[in-house]
Amino acid sequence: MDSLIEIEHLIKIFPPNVVALDDVSVDFRKGEIHAIVGENGAGKSTLMKVLYGMHSADSGELRYHGKTVRFAAPGDAIQAGIGMVHQEILLVNEYTVWENVVLGQEPAGFFGRIDHGAARRIVTEKIHEFGFNLDADARVSELSVAARQKVEILKLLYRDVSFLILDEPTAVLTPQEIPQLFDELRRLRDNGHTIAFISHHLDEVLELSDRITVLRKGRKIATIPTAETTKSALAELMVGREVVFKPIKDNVPAGDIVFDLNGVNLKASNGKDLLRDVSIQVRASEIVGIAGVEGNGQLELVSVLTGLQRPDSGSLKIHGQELMDSSILDRRRRMSFVSQDRSRMGGCLTASIMENMLMTHHRLRSTFTAGGGILIDDQKAAAFAEDACRRFDVTYATIQAPFRSLSGGNQQKVILGRELTLDTPFVLLDQPTRGLDVGSIEYVHHQIMELSRAHRAILIFSADLEELFRITDRILVLHRGKIVADLETERTNIGEVGSWMLEGAKSDA
Amino acid sequence: MRKSLIVNLSGILSAFLICGVVMQLQGYPAIESYAALFNQSVGSSYAFLTVLKNSIPLVLTGLSASVAFSSGPVNLGQPGQFLIGGLFATIGGLFVELPAPLMIPFMLMLAMIGGALWSFLAAIMKQLFDMDEYITTLMLNMIADLFTYWAISYPFFETGATFPQTPKIVKSGWMPSIGKFNSGIIVMLLAFIVVWFIYYRTTAGYEWRMTGQNPTFARLGGVPTRRNYLIIMLVTGALAGLAGGLVVMTGPRRFIKGIGANYAWDGIMVSMVANNNLFATLLYGIFFSTLETGSLGMELFTKVPSEMVTVLKAIIVLVVMAGRGSLEVLIRNWMTRQKMKARAEG
Repeated sequence: MDSLIEIEHLIKIFPPNVVALDDVSVDFRKGEIHAIVGENGAGKSTLMKVLYGMHSADSGELRYHGKTVRFAAPGDAIQAGIGMVHQEILLVNEYTVWENVVLGQEPAGFFGRIDHGAARRIVTEKIHEFGFNLDADARVSELSVAARQKVEILKLLYRDVSFLILDEPTAVLTPQEIPQLFDELRRLRDNGHTIAFISHHLDEVLELSDRITVLRKGRKIATIPTAETTKSALAELMVGREVVFKPIKDNVPAGDIVFDLNGVNLKASNGKDLLRDVSIQVRASEIVGIAGVEGNGQLELVSVLTGLQRPDSGSLKIHGQELMDSSILDRRRRMSFVSQDRSRMGGCLTASIMENMLMTHHRLRSTFTAGGGILIDDQKAAAFAEDACRRFDVTYATIQAPFRSLSGGNQQKVILGRELTLDTPFVLLDQPTRGLDVGSIEYVHHQIMELSRAHRAILIFSADLEELFRITDRILVLHRGKIVADLETERTNIGEVGSWMLEGAKSDA
Repeated sequence: MRKSLIVNLSGILSAFLICGVVMQLQGYPAIESYAALFNQSVGSSYAFLTVLKNSIPLVLTGLSASVAFSSGPVNLGQPGQFLIGGLFATIGGLFVELPAPLMIPFMLMLAMIGGALWSFLAAIMKQLFDMDEYITTLMLNMIADLFTYWAISYPFFETGATFPQTPKIVKSGWMPSIGKFNSGIIVMLLAFIVVWFIYYRTTAGYEWRMTGQNPTFARLGGVPTRRNYLIIMLVTGALAGLAGGLVVMTGPRRFIKGIGANYAWDGIMVSMVANNNLFATLLYGIFFSTLETGSLGMELFTKVPSEMVTVLKAIIVLVVMAGRGSLEVLIRNWMTRQKMKARAEG
């Protein structure tokens, strides 16, 4: 088969410590739809960004039409015929479709004037050629998200891009809009275009692609023809843990209801349902897991719980206290929160370890403040932070060292130390072991067990099913913004949860 | 800490070198010119006290910018807040007369209220209408400029003057001098200490610093970022206003057209070259004032136009800031190579 692009032994490092791509080799054939799948942090986006000239590789080779190339910037890649459609859409709202498409590469008329007639004609021809259901004269501000996405694709086609990269194109679409996008992508392929697309939804991948590449933790696991694989085989390749975890949950009898979320609804501005009537109860000592394929409402649900986002309706009670209209600080009196994003939400990379440890405590407890909470006593604060670091087994140089100097596992331990020493009845954990090595994962799991013994109510979001089976009492499945299943961990199995996750229904297989 | 010292010192040295070459090319003797520059600024205690006095508006507006930028709000309204602060102090000094121990604090307070009022306008527009402060503060600068021009041309105009200015303020409102030492310097240092203490020793300062570095982290940690935003805008506005009041009370003792000069913009430049570090802001403020003050002497003795110092300042800012960025890149590349090596070995 003739390969359009061959990637050989690609390595990409994000200093200090992250190997985002670890010796990855993939080839893309002319005229195929090639899906890239993997858990978050597997390196999908990084791979595409190297291909597209946004990142430079630290080692390895990129061959295009058999020749070694190196793109210094996205502009070079587009010139060579490689373009990317990003998740966030970047268009000028006040311009019409054709104006947006030609922007930056306008057909010139006399004296360098833009030849409006020609521009409009060319864009209209492209729309017909590829069978896009678009009006070249429509203003972008009046278009749906799906139509805007088409304009983004059209921009690349206008620039004669023959290799299109799509980063989770379905994430912003409503279910009804997806088939049309797929039809258009198939038509492009049949026209000789090559398409690489990133997706979390395995059913979409199986429906659309010709071949599939699976990445895990920066390494390529496999490239397989779609016809030769199944959803469960793919899922295993994606997640596949070498270590099999045994359940470590001990039987602490559950107490009263601590956390009570009721009837939460949230719609996106385009009318897409993000959360549909979500209700969750967690009792004291109980560990409840939320499973689901990424992008099924987890992000939104966490935002609603933490108070970053206000739902359209619904109530949130902890120990009977209504909190949906409360400030974040009021919620945090009753809620510990470990976020999945250590650098953006969980911690502050440029601040010191100590400063990271003080957050929230500085308002809620007075062990290191003076003058009625107005002053921070540096020595006491350092002692408090060092003590927490010791209890949570953090390896660090000095307490004043920047947070970013710590490894991922140690950063997570600092965050856990900060959050779990808050004396709260409810603990919200959003992928607490994401990106950690096996030893750190083990450690985090044992900490969660401790919480359960201390009669705290725990809600944990995880993309890792084995993790949920190891530590939870109940597993709820989130599918397209709705809780579709409430399963007792002891009475279910990975296969059952997996089919709820992927299809939103119980399968007989 | 040592890293930033190296970046700053080597940056300043290379800027002097570059500027020296420029002077030589223009036919001015570089070494003699620099000698005159420093002789006229730090060569005598007399000269240095002048440097300190001239540094007051630079340091205070610089502090205002540093605190704002490193806490989140992009307050670029120091020029306007400076003018309104100066005008408020002047009006107090025209219509109220108290004994000096009361009069001076009273006028300084008015100056701070004036500056804070002006930044409050921008802050409230942000909170009510979501208008970005870096636009509104800039726009308010123009309004302040023309408004004070109007105020000193009409309602507070000194009858019979040939130039837009107010009458002199009462004598008890003049900042007293002991020899060449102007007590405005004490006010500046006090303000620095207070701001430094708030920023590094209080819960509020902790919250500001965290919000400036990672607003999402701070918000999720329960920091009332909206309320803090308002407070930071008020504090930084008050600092710039204080600078305006002090310039009125140490200098012409009246509000005169063009009193704001370029102080506030220079202050913003100081905060940028100091990378928003408060102590570095103080040092750079004094250093830039040294150059500014010495340049007049240099012009007198060597015929090098004093504008040369503007060139020198600009080169310092460029070299230091570029040096900071490229050092980061060098360190990152080095770390990448280390990681590659570690990977190759196992």
